[in-house]
Amino acid sequence: MGKHRLWRSVPAFFLLVAAVALLACGHYFQNCLDTEHAPVLVLFQDEGPTASAGGNQTVWKGDTVILNGSGSTGFEGAENLNYTWSITHSTKTTRTHFATLYGMNQTFVANRTGVYTVNLTVRDSLDRTDSDEVYIFAEEPPKTFLEQHWLSLIVAGVLLFIGAILLRKTIMNIRTGQPVVSEASREKTKLWLRKSRSTMKQLLRNPMGCAGVIILIFFGVMAVVGPMLAGDVKTLSSVPGSQLNLPSKEHPFGTDNFGIDILDELLYGARTSMIVGVFSAVIASVLGAAVGLYAGYAGGWKDEVVMRANDVVLSIPWLVLMIVVAAFIGKIDLGGMILIIGLTGWSYTARLVRAQVLSIKERQYVERAKAIGASDFSIIGTHIFPNTFPMIFANTILTVAVSILSEATLSFLGLRPVGEVTWGTMLSFASENSAFENNLHYWILAPGLCIVLLVLGFTLLGYALDEILNPKLRRR
Amino acid sequence: MILNFLLIHFMPGDPLSNMVPKGARYQNLRWSLSEKFHLNASLPEQLVVYLYNTITLDWGVSYQYNRSVSSIIFQDLKWTMLLVGSSTFIMVILGIIIGALSAYRRGSAFDVSATAITLFFYGMPVFWFALILQLVFTTNANPLGISWWPQLPPSGYYDVGRFGPELKWELPIILSVLKYLILPAATLAIGSLAGVSLVMRGALVDTMTEDYILTARAKGLTDYGVLRHHALPNGMPPMVALIAMDIAFIIGGAYQVEWVFNYPGLGFRTITSIGDLDFPILQFIVVVGGVAVVVANFLADMILYYIDPRIKIS
Repeated sequence: MGKHRLWRSVPAFFLLVAAVALLACGHYFQNCLDTEHAPVLVLFQDEGPTASAGGNQTVWKGDTVILNGSGSTGFEGAENLNYTWSITHSTKTTRTHFATLYGMNQTFVANRTGVYTVNLTVRDSLDRTDSDEVYIFAEEPPKTFLEQHWLSLIVAGVLLFIGAILLRKTIMNIRTGQPVVSEASREKTKLWLRKSRSTMKQLLRNPMGCAGVIILIFFGVMAVVGPMLAGDVKTLSSVPGSQLNLPSKEHPFGTDNFGIDILDELLYGARTSMIVGVFSAVIASVLGAAVGLYAGYAGGWKDEVVMRANDVVLSIPWLVLMIVVAAFIGKIDLGGMILIIGLTGWSYTARLVRAQVLSIKERQYVERAKAIGASDFSIIGTHIFPNTFPMIFANTILTVAVSILSEATLSFLGLRPVGEVTWGTMLSFASENSAFENNLHYWILAPGLCIVLLVLGFTLLGYALDEILNPKLRRR
Repeated sequence: MILNFLLIHFMPGDPLSNMVPKGARYQNLRWSLSEKFHLNASLPEQLVVYLYNTITLDWGVSYQYNRSVSSIIFQDLKWTMLLVGSSTFIMVILGIIIGALSAYRRGSAFDVSATAITLFFYGMPVFWFALILQLVFTTNANPLGISWWPQLPPSGYYDVGRFGPELKWELPIILSVLKYLILPAATLAIGSLAGVSLVMRGALVDTMTEDYILTARAKGLTDYGVLRHHALPNGMPPMVALIAMDIAFIIGGAYQVEWVFNYPGLGFRTITSIGDLDFPILQFIVVVGGVAVVVANFLADMILYYIDPRIKIS
């Protein structure tokens, strides 16, 4: 019993350590900031008071800014200096009064990016004043290398892993004196190639599959070439808010409220929408396949527990689930979006895979493999997974379609990936700025139609593949 | 349910910051409110309170509206059920008809075009379709420039301006409710039509190759008779199972439709509550969603048992 309890508290312990470490880090970084505030004292004799508001500072958004003001009285009879800090926040486009603070040393939190103009006014008892102005530049905290490239790092890691396995196999073969590429594997590759060629042929003969392939080729080209053709869509070219330009020769589809060409955005969004759809579907499929393989193969109470948990996830309306997960992830960028959709979309795949595994598990070759003492891992790897793979593959393609729709929906409801342009964000901005009333029909119609066609392409391809790869399983 | 509690409570953010204006003056209000909602208690304590209250059907008071959650949720549930129910009804009827016809005339122009059109609508984001319908049917100067088009109300649930805020069982009010229901229900139904009609078609195509269909033909039954009495009953079970599974997705679609059409159902409430961090409402919306799915599955099992007595209840 005692051992059991100890084991249970391990995660809690790690959490505690993590929390303490986080707190310590936060404290440390806060302390780092106020290094450069040596107040400058300038003394003039027999004159009015002098104010000094310290030097200009550059801080990160969300930091606490410490204002060390100082003043000196020029006239001896006048003491009791009154300090008034007036802080104005301005960005490229707006200028608002932020706060007024009283007292010699003050702090405020720079919770927005932009420039804070801090004006210190000192007033002595003889009502003589002096003021000094400093600027606090609040910038977006720089992204760490991990934050910027985590997606490509994961992909690279997986590729490296596969490469390492292949390399190990080759080296093993060389060391044991076997030919590097054995006869059997050559045959296997040939067989696989022939099979995939015939699948391709069947696919192109199937009208649904053919249409899907054509649509996807079109959008694939658009995703690769589009962003190169498109102009800069991320930096604001002009003052937002008043720049809805109607379609013209220069901007065939008009411009949005930031003055950015809608056609450019459309071209650019092809890539981002595809990335979100494909990557989140891959995440969802990998998760779902892992869960399904485990549950189906382990069987018994483990299967029961996992599948009941899965039922719970399936029973929560997916939109609510996504929004809650989004709240956990916090700041959403393209990667966050992929995570949200990937982490919520696996349960259906898991169910399918499990059902398939249950039937494969009972086949004779699995029993034989067990009888000759193959480990569970190798049975799953060599017998069960390859047999479920066609279904997983077809299902992944269907999931891509659903993921693209989910991205658009989340963006529309306001959970937009920050600083990115996808077709979903275009639609959401368009409806917020009532594009139709402003005669910008393309702004709503074009991205919507693109989404429909892209989803249609993936769905058609998915159904066609499903039909070709799993002729028996079609009835679900 | 515990998962649900934890999930909602670990959402970042402070619910009080939305209810109480900033400033030292309101500190007392803040304290009294956090006492009232047990927000100062530790998480396990809150969990115990929550479980006890759920079982005794005391679902608490919404942070935002200061009304009991159950009254809010049941009031909204009415509208969502009306919407989901009517659209599911339309969807099933249309789906069966289209699926049956295209299976019967397999490979014909009707089959191909029906499949293409339903798939086209299936790939459509529900909210986008809702927006387009709203614009086409409501703006007098709509982009198509059609003036003979029927004008339908763009948002809301009935003509509040004409009939007052109180809902009564009177014919004009019911008619008004129905009129306001057309667009949202049509959006939802058409959006999820493809699933039903494709499954129906697939099941019927399989059935049509069976020998007893040939026998029925040989007896000289009409096309309709074959379809109605021999093919359809055998095509139904997979459909019922599918609809039960799709309920969660239809609810998800209902959220978007309600949001676009300002329809005061659960979806609309969910999205506003997430903005307000109104935990009690969110918790029970998730519970209600789960219950709806469970009930739908149960109903599907019963219907399956009814239409296919070979199935045994295990």
